[in-house]
Amino acid sequence: MPQLQPMKNTDYPLGYWQKVTLSIWLIALVILPFADIEIVNFDPFLELSLMTQGLMAPDFFATEYLFQAIIQTVNFAIIGVCLGLILGAPLALIYQHPIVSGCCSFLRAIHEIFWALLFLQVFGLSPMTGILAIAIPFAATFARVFHDIINQSSDRPLESIDSRADIISRYTYGKIAQVLPQLMAYTRYRFECALRSSAVLGFIGMPTLGFYMETAFKQGNYNEGAALLMIFVAIIGTIRYWCPPKLLGVYLVIACVTLVEIPAVDSSLLVRFISQDILPPAFANAASFAEVQWYSLYTWFSDIITGQAIPGAIATITLALLALAATHFITLNAHALASKHLCPVPLTWLGQLMLLIGRCVPEYILAFIFLMLLGPSMLPAIIALAIHNGCVIAYLAVRQNNAIAPQQMQISKFNQFNYHIMPSIYPNIMALMFYRFEIIVRETAVFGILGIMTLGFYIDSSFSEIRYSNALVLITCTALLNVVIDIFSRRLLKLPQTSLASC
Amino acid sequence: MNTLIKLIALCALTISLLVSSNASATTFTFTAIPDEDESQLRTRFEKVALYLEQKLGVKVKYVPVKSYSAAVTAFRNNQVQLAWFGGLSGVQARRLVPGSQAIAQGYEDQFFKSYFIAHHSTNLTMTDSFPDINQKTFTFGSKGSTSGRLMPQYYIEQYLQKKPQQAFKRVGFSGDHSRTIAQVQSGVYQVGAVNYKVWETALARGKIDTNKVSVIWETPAYPDYQWTIRAGVDTEFGKGFADKVQAVLLNMNDPELLNSFPRSSFVNATNKDFEPVLTVAKKIGLID
Repeated sequence: MPQLQPMKNTDYPLGYWQKVTLSIWLIALVILPFADIEIVNFDPFLELSLMTQGLMAPDFFATEYLFQAIIQTVNFAIIGVCLGLILGAPLALIYQHPIVSGCCSFLRAIHEIFWALLFLQVFGLSPMTGILAIAIPFAATFARVFHDIINQSSDRPLESIDSRADIISRYTYGKIAQVLPQLMAYTRYRFECALRSSAVLGFIGMPTLGFYMETAFKQGNYNEGAALLMIFVAIIGTIRYWCPPKLLGVYLVIACVTLVEIPAVDSSLLVRFISQDILPPAFANAASFAEVQWYSLYTWFSDIITGQAIPGAIATITLALLALAATHFITLNAHALASKHLCPVPLTWLGQLMLLIGRCVPEYILAFIFLMLLGPSMLPAIIALAIHNGCVIAYLAVRQNNAIAPQQMQISKFNQFNYHIMPSIYPNIMALMFYRFEIIVRETAVFGILGIMTLGFYIDSSFSEIRYSNALVLITCTALLNVVIDIFSRRLLKLPQTSLASC
Repeated sequence: MNTLIKLIALCALTISLLVSSNASATTFTFTAIPDEDESQLRTRFEKVALYLEQKLGVKVKYVPVKSYSAAVTAFRNNQVQLAWFGGLSGVQARRLVPGSQAIAQGYEDQFFKSYFIAHHSTNLTMTDSFPDINQKTFTFGSKGSTSGRLMPQYYIEQYLQKKPQQAFKRVGFSGDHSRTIAQVQSGVYQVGAVNYKVWETALARGKIDTNKVSVIWETPAYPDYQWTIRAGVDTEFGKGFADKVQAVLLNMNDPELLNSFPRSSFVNATNKDFEPVLTVAKKIGLID
């Protein structure tokens, strides 16, 4: 398609994106026979009819302490984002240092749920657990994206500033001032992501909407589940009305005041966690260093790697690559539906609503629903990841393409869309897709909790068997895998260093 | 470098501001996850908290948790001093906090059992001997559940002489007993293991289509849910506090309160009662 119209972006040789697109699909087709995508279900209609009934008659009064749950969801998100900013923004200034960027990409690679499960051991069911679980990966993301944004700013204003001015003033007025709107816009977008993360943390016990959502779906109370999903979509869909940037400070104060009580932090728990819980059994059982049984340490470690980490990593990568291709498919279709260049305006509202729902409903819930309908293979997870990520990318792409002015030519809307709009934003869509790929890999973890045997499955098992040392080894493997994939895909694709919202 | 240190100091300060100490050490806190119906947890268990508060004369608080492992962690970290544990989670918790005592169990928990249930397409029917479920697809309940995972896995390994991953075509963890029933009923898995009480309740409520899913085997009896009190409550809340809690639990006879668990009554229990659970957990490698 794009070769019919010369691309505006001349950085890429002609046909580059076709090659990339074809390779995504080729890889997906090659691994498809090895992936577990069997549909096993005999009577899906019973559950399907129950779900539809639930959706038709949502019960908004079934959830206890609903208002509190909503408040806490927002609180965790606001405090988490603010703390993430405080920690992450300064790091953006020194992000070029390989150690800083390496550490950040490692921290980013660990899913919020695993951060929360780790902090749970130290802080218990305290808001600290939830806030830090959001703040740490968010800080690492802020550091990277802010660094990218600041890097793109021009150096011209610096030249016009008196060279005697101190470095802070020079930097603030010469560099940051010109990209401030972009930084603000990105922060706003991350706030939406934080709301989602905050809800997801409810699945493991934080007092947010997710807590009740998971129970409702697990117990088959679809009326309650549907109501909670609707509330959640409404909260995210209306952020710009209830949380204008100016009021963020006010909300932060309210959040700190209305946050659930923080129990005192017992430092001995932290000491115990570091000095005992996360040590391999060979160290934890030995009285002194001389008594450590190195052989048992070796078997312990190799058992985890061969029995869990490697099969988990293979499943994770298979799932992520198939999900990438499916995401590509969903993105293109969903994007077309909500684009004003192709559809009449009233229809784009419907498309926008679809994108909103697609990106708000947590993947876990989507996978849960598809699991009941399609059976326990990788398929539900692939569909869930594709819908969620496809809708996020399509949403960002629609925002960009609505800013493009259509050419005044005598061609149909369809041709206009295909030969003018698509070619000009396709590189952006693809870049977004690769940014999201990192997130897809991260998110495969969540499906482990649903029983799909990714690395997340083994991590979840280790936590439920109270083997924190195993969990830590596996979490480290997951993070390293993400870092490697990130480096690899960047090298391979020579991705443009443009900063795009990655969430 | 100097700026970096300042920044770190600033971050540390922010965190320390968040961590203001406002814990009330004298509140007696407990947690409970019922084996069925997890909706309205707080509303239901705050009534139990009120009952305990009236009888014990100390402030009592209920903390809702999502999983057995979260309950064990809270117990270990002294965030709860009393917990309604499953068989396995109780054993795990008492190993992590030596000196903790199982003080009461549900009447039904003295001789608890699991059902193996199967989808009608498998053509399996109720038998006294272990059913032929080799190479079927199989779902457990939650990973840390005694009736949904530990005991079923033990009997599978006993009778089939294989780990579940080798014995079955596909192994899943539904996460919850109601889910196990729903998944086997809709054919997502062919066979599943479920807490017998959850099955009986769902059957009585008409939530099960017996043409689609039926019980094919029941496990021998084993001990399950119990109340466990943390070591050191006597120093924290006064001498004889653990005994007092035990007496109050055993005397709980308001059907509304008992229904939250749901149990018909509570009877005496000791740590020794749960040794079979520990042995089984060690045998299948869930506890080292």
